[in-house]
Amino acid sequence: MVRFKNRYVVCEVVSEDPRCRQCIEDRALGLAVRDAITRVHGDYGLACCSISFTVKYLNAYNGTVLLRCRKDSYRLLCSALPFVRYLESRAQRYPCFLNTLHVGGTIRTCQKFLIQYNRTQLLKLLQNCTNEEERQCIQKSLLSCSLTEEQSQSGDEEEDDGSE
Amino acid sequence: IFLLCFLVGYSAVALNHVIDFKEKKQEIIKPVSPSELFPTLPIVQGTSKRIKVLTRLTLVVSDPSHCNLLRSTSANIRLYDIIAVFPKTEKLFHIACTTLDVDLVCINVTEKLPFYFRRPPVNMAIDRGIYFELLYTPAIKDSTMRRYTISNAISLMQICKGKNIVISSAAERPLELRGPYDVANLGLLFGLSESEAKAAVSTNCRATMLHGETRKSACGVVYTVKKPRKVEEEESAVPACKKAKTQA
Repeated sequence: MVRFKNRYVVCEVVSEDPRCRQCIEDRALGLAVRDAITRVHGDYGLACCSISFTVKYLNAYNGTVLLRCRKDSYRLLCSALPFVRYLESRAQRYPCFLNTLHVGGTIRTCQKFLIQYNRTQLLKLLQNCTNEEERQCIQKSLLSCSLTEEQSQSGDEEEDDGSE
Repeated sequence: IFLLCFLVGYSAVALNHVIDFKEKKQEIIKPVSPSELFPTLPIVQGTSKRIKVLTRLTLVVSDPSHCNLLRSTSANIRLYDIIAVFPKTEKLFHIACTTLDVDLVCINVTEKLPFYFRRPPVNMAIDRGIYFELLYTPAIKDSTMRRYTISNAISLMQICKGKNIVISSAAERPLELRGPYDVANLGLLFGLSESEAKAAVSTNCRATMLHGETRKSACGVVYTVKKPRKVEEEESAVPACKKAKTQA
């Protein structure tokens, strides 16, 4: 069957500046990544990777980004991601870096990974938060964050939270 | 920087202390104990263990007499967990690979190497369990250093076939750090295969830590051999025809 196979790369934008996360735009991110590919792999690399390159999903609160590229050229993209140094938007430069989390073949697998990852992040936040109200908020969101198919797993988590 | 390491998912971090021998007299100072830096070490993402912070010493050697310092029984050297050496000439590279008591040999990435790697000392280093180290932070900062990094790394790969390589960062600012998956992808750029690149970040580093520990603690190895007394009990249960064979 002839089908174009894509790879979806899940990244997280990490930055020291708290304003950076709010100003992330998909175009700015796409430009930054393309610029990094040009610097590392040159014109050939840029041409190969930009056949089907888009920023599919962007979450400004987490800093989570989902990029799409062709299966043949995802290696070029992945090896150029560490070279992204700053994001430029509205004439301001924000130093940051991208942390690759997971590479998947479909958006669904990336979504499953993100759900697990967010769950662990919420657990970590639970340990760090000092306010009782925040604690209850986070616990509520933990219990309700699973997909409807995974009802049993949320039941196990309830027991875990109780034992903590 | 450390908080970011923990966030990104590293399980052990080494603090580096560089000693340059251009000045005449230099004493090796005691390493800063990690417990002084943070009161509580945060937990690694994903597992429930605490992060290990190790101390590391890098010696920049440009003269064979500097190596005597390693053989001296100065107490302060023993306090460092990992010892690395940065040779500047070919003879020193040979000495470092064959006789010096170190865990890592740093490969310069910021200039064109003045010497070529040769196969015999590299093979001896691999047998002894010494790892070669490549830095990746200059590659992120500057374009000319990136070229030297890649050319030196590829020439190293061609001689050692990708074994015993550790990739590390000499990050001075938190934004120069990269996550472990990204560093393994950088290894692909350096000419490693995918499994070797992942090993360069994970298993080789762990082996280096263990090498440092054995260097600190073990001065000799004691072999214990179990005496074959159990076999006599089993022989009585063996049937007669087989017994004849074993006795013969």
